[in-house]
Amino acid sequence: MSGSKVRLNTEWLCDCGGCHVAIVDLHEKMLQVLQSVEILKCPVLTDEKDYPEADIGIVTGSVRTEHDREAAIAMRQKCKTIIAFGTCAVYGGFHGAGLAHSREEIMDHVYRHSPTTKTDTLPNNSISALGKMVTPIDEVIEVDLYLPGCPPHSHFILEGLSSLINRTAPRVHKETVCAGCHRVMKKTAVTEIQDPTSSYADGETCFLSQGFICQGSVTLDRCLAPCPNHGIACSGCAGPTMQVLSEPTRDLRTEISERMSRLTKIPYETIKTHLEKSAKTHYAYAMATKMIGNKPTFLIRKWIAEREAR
Amino acid sequence: MLEMTIHENSCRGCQLCLDVCPTDCFVFDEQTQKARVAVVENCIACLSCAYICPSMAIRHKDYHQVKNFYRNIEFSSRMEKFL
Ligand code: SF4
Ligand code: SF4
Ligand code: SF4
Ligand code: SF4
Ligand code: SF4
Repeated sequence: MSGSKVRLNTEWLCDCGGCHVAIVDLHEKMLQVLQSVEILKCPVLTDEKDYPEADIGIVTGSVRTEHDREAAIAMRQKCKTIIAFGTCAVYGGFHGAGLAHSREEIMDHVYRHSPTTKTDTLPNNSISALGKMVTPIDEVIEVDLYLPGCPPHSHFILEGLSSLINRTAPRVHKETVCAGCHRVMKKTAVTEIQDPTSSYADGETCFLSQGFICQGSVTLDRCLAPCPNHGIACSGCAGPTMQVLSEPTRDLRTEISERMSRLTKIPYETIKTHLEKSAKTHYAYAMATKMIGNKPTFLIRKWIAEREAR
Repeated sequence: MLEMTIHENSCRGCQLCLDVCPTDCFVFDEQTQKARVAVVENCIACLSCAYICPSMAIRHKDYHQVKNFYRNIEFSSRMEKFL
């Protein structure tokens, strides 16, 4: 019956490979998917170097090199429906933080003065050169569907794939990481921002209430909130909420500051300034998308463009 | 008729909705430690509660939506494409 199966291509661009592992990680549910899907190209499962004609194309990773760009275009040409899969493809991903550095700095740090190797040569053949910017894939090709998450939890992968295969409307869920977190948010008399490397948070109360920065309330839940439920504050890897993305005046730092200053006795401005100073960390996952990069108050792209122009 | 619901499992009990609602539509249930809609009739659909809620747990239905002129058009056109 393979003729009636949905043909699937997947391709990875500039990424960590985690999203492809997440697809394979569907475990026995993979068999359920394979009943209706024929995988033609998938870098972790097949040896297909070409781009066969397919119904669905899953693209993971962002565009940083000429190879990334060409691979994205080839996928678009051969696949009817393109899914930007994972935070890298949707928003640029955590290597968006590379935008805070010049290309020379990155090459130098990785190949010449890497703290963990002794080589001192820049690669000059076999790999394509580093582009000027990291961009989400929709700056290069038209995208039909978006599934953020770093990687998306198998629950959402399966739901997304099933709705596509069965042609039903996906139950798009817009709740944040807080919605799946088991901690209790309560008002406290905390007066200072806490440093997670030198003090412990208790496991029952919300990090914000205890004075620790947590990005749960500004992050779309595509992960089922593993981090805050296992003692670690959310770092926002699934990317921002619809609210933050659609409204230029709402931002990660203003939204967190608003909530945290109401939960604690720490002033709004103190929290906001703290988040600005560590912007490279807090904005990393979505910095490369115009929705965040072009916010009227977020100037990091301008700083970088000025630096590259010098 | 305007309807307003709180997704109970998502509520973290922060009471921020009680703090911001100009018309006192919510009460805090001490037993469950979660917010509850008390008088939906008072709601003027300002959506302040929906915006402040850290979980995005508060939903409104059947209300007159005032469209924000400052929406990010680029993203808004993509919003319905999210899985
Ligand atoms: S979204 Fe995260 S898990 Fe997926 S490829 Fe990018 S960095 Fe890896
Ligand atoms: S801010 Fe973090 S710790 Fe607090 S409820 Fe949200 S996810 Fe949990
Ligand atoms: S960092 Fe936040 S968004 Fe990422 S997996 Fe952890 S809880 Fe989810
Ligand atoms: S929409 Fe406004 S008036 Fe209605 S419950 Fe929320 S805060 Fe109160
Ligand atoms: S703002 Fe949201 S999470 Fe907080 S009490 Fe109200 S409904 Fe619950």
